[in-house]
Amino acid sequence: MTDTLADHADAGLRKGEPLIEMTGIGKSYGAIRALRGINLRVNAGEVTCVLGDNGAGKSTLIKIMSGLHPHNEGSLKVDGQELTFASPREALDHGIATVYQDLAVVSLMEVWRNFFLGSELTAGRFPLAGMKIKDMKRIADEELRKMGIVVKDINQPIGTLSGGQRQCVAIARAVYFGARVLILDEPTAALGVKQSGVVLKYTAAARDAGLGVVFITHNPHHAYLVGDHFIILKLGGTALDKNRSEVGLDELTTQMAGGDELTELSHELGR
Amino acid sequence: MMLRMRGARLVAVAAVVALGLAACSEGGKQETTGTSGGGANAAGSSGYTIAMITHETPGDTFWDKIKAGAQQAAKDEGVTLKYSNDPDASKQAGLIQSAVDSKVSGIATTLVTPDALAGSVKAATDAKIPVVGFNSGIDQYQKLGALMYFGSDENVAGTAAGKRIGEAGAKHPLCVIQAAGSVALEARCAGVKSAVPGTENIQVNGADDGAVVSTLQAKLSQDKSIDYIVTLGAPIAIDALKAMDAAASKAKLVTFDLNAEAAQDIQDGKIEFSIDQQPYVQGYLAVSSLYLYLKNGNDIGGGRAVLTGPSFVDKTNIDKIVPFTKNNTR
Amino acid sequence: MTQVRTTPPPAKTPAEASNRVSLSLYSRILARPEVGALVAAVIIFIFFLSVAPAFRSAESFFTVLYQSSTIGIVAVGVGLLMIGGEFDLSAGVITITAGLVNSMLCWNYGMNLWVGALVSLVFCLFIGFLNGYLVMKTGIPSFLITLGTFFVLQGANLGVTKLVTGSVSSPDISRIDGFSSLQAIFASSFKIGPVTVWITVIWWLLFVALAAWILQRTRTGNWIFAVGGNPDSARAVGVPLVRTKIGLFMTVSFFGWFVGMHLLYRFNTLQAGNGVGNEFLYIIAAVVGGTLLTGGYGNAIGVAIGAFIFGMTSLGIVYAGWDPNWFKAFLGVMLLLAVLVNLYVKRMSTARKVG
Repeated sequence: MTDTLADHADAGLRKGEPLIEMTGIGKSYGAIRALRGINLRVNAGEVTCVLGDNGAGKSTLIKIMSGLHPHNEGSLKVDGQELTFASPREALDHGIATVYQDLAVVSLMEVWRNFFLGSELTAGRFPLAGMKIKDMKRIADEELRKMGIVVKDINQPIGTLSGGQRQCVAIARAVYFGARVLILDEPTAALGVKQSGVVLKYTAAARDAGLGVVFITHNPHHAYLVGDHFIILKLGGTALDKNRSEVGLDELTTQMAGGDELTELSHELGR
Repeated sequence: MMLRMRGARLVAVAAVVALGLAACSEGGKQETTGTSGGGANAAGSSGYTIAMITHETPGDTFWDKIKAGAQQAAKDEGVTLKYSNDPDASKQAGLIQSAVDSKVSGIATTLVTPDALAGSVKAATDAKIPVVGFNSGIDQYQKLGALMYFGSDENVAGTAAGKRIGEAGAKHPLCVIQAAGSVALEARCAGVKSAVPGTENIQVNGADDGAVVSTLQAKLSQDKSIDYIVTLGAPIAIDALKAMDAAASKAKLVTFDLNAEAAQDIQDGKIEFSIDQQPYVQGYLAVSSLYLYLKNGNDIGGGRAVLTGPSFVDKTNIDKIVPFTKNNTR
Repeated sequence: MTQVRTTPPPAKTPAEASNRVSLSLYSRILARPEVGALVAAVIIFIFFLSVAPAFRSAESFFTVLYQSSTIGIVAVGVGLLMIGGEFDLSAGVITITAGLVNSMLCWNYGMNLWVGALVSLVFCLFIGFLNGYLVMKTGIPSFLITLGTFFVLQGANLGVTKLVTGSVSSPDISRIDGFSSLQAIFASSFKIGPVTVWITVIWWLLFVALAAWILQRTRTGNWIFAVGGNPDSARAVGVPLVRTKIGLFMTVSFFGWFVGMHLLYRFNTLQAGNGVGNEFLYIIAAVVGGTLLTGGYGNAIGVAIGAFIFGMTSLGIVYAGWDPNWFKAFLGVMLLLAVLVNLYVKRMSTARKVG
C-alpha cells in the first residue's frame, strides 16, 4: 500500500522541507474575528494535526488553506512564496488538495467520474471534446485497487460505497492528481472504529510517501496515532503548539477536554 | 464556456446592429394615418371622468378594439378615461370599488361574473354613480342596477352562426374553445349546437399556437366527417387554416371576431364568414352613453340591451371592412 | 490543471478480478434514469394504438412528433439545467420574447430578418446570462430569480408590443427580406410519401443527441452532473461552478430562442400574451424523463421521452375522440407516477450494494 502511494507522490518532495508556512494568520467576517495569530507549518512527510472543539476556528483555517476564503491578516507562504488564494482551483494548482468530511464526493455520480472530477482526461481542450472514458475507468479501477480499495463496480454511484471507502477514494484521488499537501477535514468523524482504522492507515501512507498532511479532528486518540505535530485551537487562537516529542496523549486529551477549565470545574463539583 | 467569447460577441452585436440599420427591407412598418381620428375636444374638457373596468386577460387583440373605441369616445367627448382590468372576478370587483372610492363620474364595466361583481356595483349605485354594462352580462345587468347594456348575446350569436352554416349544409361542425372554463365561449358553442345538433366541441390551448394547430390537425384526421370548423377568436382561425392544410381537410371555416389576417383570409375566400360583435362599438357606446346620461339624462336602448352583434362579415362586405381592421378598429 | 497526469503510471500488479462481481444486466438497466419513462411511453403508445384507430398511421405519428418537438427542444435545455440543479421559469415566455424582438425590430426599422434574428439571439442569451449571474451572485434560489424574469418578460412582451404596433399581436413579417431562408431553417416541412416531417423534429433529435453526448462523454457533462449533485464538493475539486451554471441558463435561453424562431416563422405573427404556462410543460417533460428535481441525475434521452409522452397524450386523447378537457388530469397522473418511479430508482441506486 505504502509503496503504491509513494509511486504516485511527487518525487521532488523532501522529508521535513516546509510546504506551507503560516505566520500570524487571522480572519474576520465583518465584526467577528474567527481566527487570529495562527502560526502553522506543514512539512513534507509529516502529519500536522489541528485539534479543537466546535467553533474553535478549524473550519476557517481549512477554508484559508484550501482557497475557499482568503485570509485578511498575516502571511501565507507556499513553497517559500507568499500568496493569497482566490479560489480552490488556485490552491489545487499549488498542489494543495482538501478532502472534506461530507463534501468529498458527489454521491449520485459513478466512482470513476468522481475520481476524475475536475481533472478529466479529454481528447482536446474545447468544451465538446470527448473524455477518454475507457482510460478513465481503467485508471480509476487500477489506482483504487492498488491502494487497496476494492469497489465491486467502478460504474456504481459512489453513494453506494461505505463512508470510509468514500473518504479513501477522495484521498486516493488527491494523491493521484499530484497533491503535495493533503488537508483532511474530520476524516474519521462519522466513521466506526474499523472504518476509521482504514482511513488512518491511508493518512500514514500519504505521510510516508512524502506528502505534507494536515489532519483536522476533534479526536486526540486518532490524532496521536498519526501526528508529528499538534496544534490545539480554542476560540480562534492557539491553545497548544507542540511537537510529538514534547507532548503526550494525556496532555492532548486533557487540553481537548477543556484543560485548566476542566480542572477548575472538577474542584467546584468536587466529590 | 461561453463567457470567454463575451468580447467577441459584443463586437458582433455592434456589427450586426450597424448592418441592420443600414439594411432596408420591404414589408415593414408603413406610415399610417392616425389610427384614431382627431377629436375636437381636449382630454377632460367636459369635466367628466369615466372608469372602464374589464375582465381582459392581457394579450388578447379583441380588447384592444374595445379600448380603442372607448378612447375614441373619450376624445370625441372630452372625457377623461381611466381603464383598468383583471381577469380574476374578485380583483375586478376590487377595481370597481376603487373607482367608486375615487368618485368618478360614471363606471362602465363588463359583467362576466355577475354574482362576484354585484356587491361593488351596488356600492357604485348607492354612491349615485351611474353604471353601464357592456360586452358580457346581458341577462343580469338590470338586476345588478346597471342603467344600460351594450354587447352581443353570445348564445344568439352562436345560434345565428349555426343557422347560417346549417343552411349551407353543415352536418358535423367542430366548435373550437380556446380557453378552459369560459362561460361566454361555451355559450357560443351551445348556440351553434342549438342550430346544428351534430356540433362537437374541442378544447385547445390558446396560449400556444403550435399546440392549437397539432390538436386540430389530429382531430381532423381522426374524424373525417367534420365539415365545418367554428373558431371563437380570430387568431385561432389562422391556426385552424394551418391545421386544415396539414390534415388535407375539406372542411369549411367560420370564425367569431376579426383581425387583419382573418379579414384578409375572408377576402381570399379561405374563411367563409366572421360573426363580429363589433368590440369597437361596445367600447365607444359604453363611454358615450355615460356621457349623454351625465350631460343630458339620455337613456339608450329603451330599457333593453343594445345589441352590437352579431354582424356578419363575408365576401359581400369585406372590401369595405379590410381597411378598418388594419386600423385596429374592427 | 497542472496536476493532471496525462500518462497513466505503469501498472505494477496485474489487475485482479477474482474478488469483483459485475452487476447483472437487469440492475444495470434499472439504474438508468430514462427506463421508467421508456416503459411508460411504450405502455401509452400501445394503449393509444389499441383505442384510437386514427392514431395508427405514420401521418399521426409524425404529428405527435411535431407536437413533442416544440416542447422537447426547450425541454432539452431545461433538462440540462435541472440536472445542474437549477430551474428556469422564464423558459416559456422567452420563446415569445425572442419572436417579438425579431419581428418588431425588423418591422419597425425595416431591417433584414436575419439581423433581427441575431439580435434576438444575443438578447435571449443575455437574459439567460442575467438569470444565471443573479442566481450565482445573490445565492437566491433560481426558482425566485427566474419567476421574476418570467413576470418581467411577460409584462414587457405585452407592453412593448402595444407601444410598437398599437395592438397586442406582432405585425405580419412574411414580406420582409430574409423570411423564406429563415423559414427554411426554423419552420419548413417536407414530405416522405404521405407523411409530413417538420424540420423541428430533425432539430429536436439533433439537439437531444448533442446533449446526450455532452452529458455522458464530455468534461462539461461531468461538471453539469457535479454542480447539480453537490455544488460545494464540485467547487472544492476545481469545477468552475459559476461558469457552468451560467452556461446552463444560457443554454436554456438559446433553446427558447430557437422555438421562438420556429413560432415566428411558422405563424408570421405572434400573440404577445402567449407562451405562459409552457415552462411547466418543459419541467414536466424533464421530470417524467427521469430528471431529479434536486439535480445531479438524469439524461437527455429521458427528457426526450418525457416530451414524447407529453405529445403522445395530448394528441392521443384527440385521436381517440375523447373530451380533451381530461388531458390535464391525465398529465397530472403521469407526473405523479414519474416522480414516484424516480424516487424509487434513486433509493435503489444510492442504497449500498456492497460493504
